[in-house]
Amino acid sequence: MKNPEFVLSTILAVGTAFVIAIWVHGDALTKVKLAIAYAGLVMLFLFGFLILAGIASGKIDISQLLEEKGSDGTNGGASMGRFQLLIFTFVIGLSFFYVVLCKCDMPQIPTNVLALLGVSATTYGVGKGIQATTQNKDNGGAGGGPAGGGAGGGI
Amino acid sequence: MRFLMTLAYWEGAILFGGLFCVVLWKLLTGAISLSYLLDGDFRDPDSPTGFSTTASPGRTQALMVTLLVAGYYLLQVIHNPKELPPLSLWLVGVLGGSHALYLTEKVQTLSSGR
Repeated sequence: MKNPEFVLSTILAVGTAFVIAIWVHGDALTKVKLAIAYAGLVMLFLFGFLILAGIASGKIDISQLLEEKGSDGTNGGASMGRFQLLIFTFVIGLSFFYVVLCKCDMPQIPTNVLALLGVSATTYGVGKGIQATTQNKDNGGAGGGPAGGGAGGGI
Repeated sequence: MRFLMTLAYWEGAILFGGLFCVVLWKLLTGAISLSYLLDGDFRDPDSPTGFSTTASPGRTQALMVTLLVAGYYLLQVIHNPKELPPLSLWLVGVLGGSHALYLTEKVQTLSSGR
């Protein structure tokens, strides 16, 4: 078995569903609803926690999260496109979560905030396209891409 | 049902806060490398590989504008946590312009050098 912790989490979630279904008072429909809700919550938490623990312990390697590969396969340094995308994702994500906590309701997302994320993601995509085009052009000719050529400087 | 909501609240706080803290910790300790973040490549005929690396003004201004916009938005949310605050159009325009400048510099330096 490759990932026993995930199987264990699923079994635990199903167990929780059974316990809730047996112990909670009410009609059958309420029991089913609560059992599914609790089981989903337990499973989501355990899966998320396992991934988080894996990242924290280094089992899931995110050390190259911001790095771009050069054309020769070596690391080309941190990428501005990736870095700004990470910052905006966290800022909007944390803001959304904070508003949900304060309001206890799903907030409307303003159009300009979506535009902000769009600008951010487009910059990353276009930067990657420019890098790939340059590398393809050079590989067709003399060889040696930009990120692989210099000491660093990803997209 | 109240207990379920409290559980979901803490679950979200632990998972999202935990992910944020882990990434931040790895950034601060250098486990996620930020080396060469402000360096860009440019075409250099004298280099054996055809490219060299140097400090990039485009990247520097893009980083500054990014941090400024992100910080401003976080402050807005902290001041009024009842809704996601709308971002003014000129701020999105400034960010778009900054990133366009960064990409233009990138195209220019990669295609024809400095």
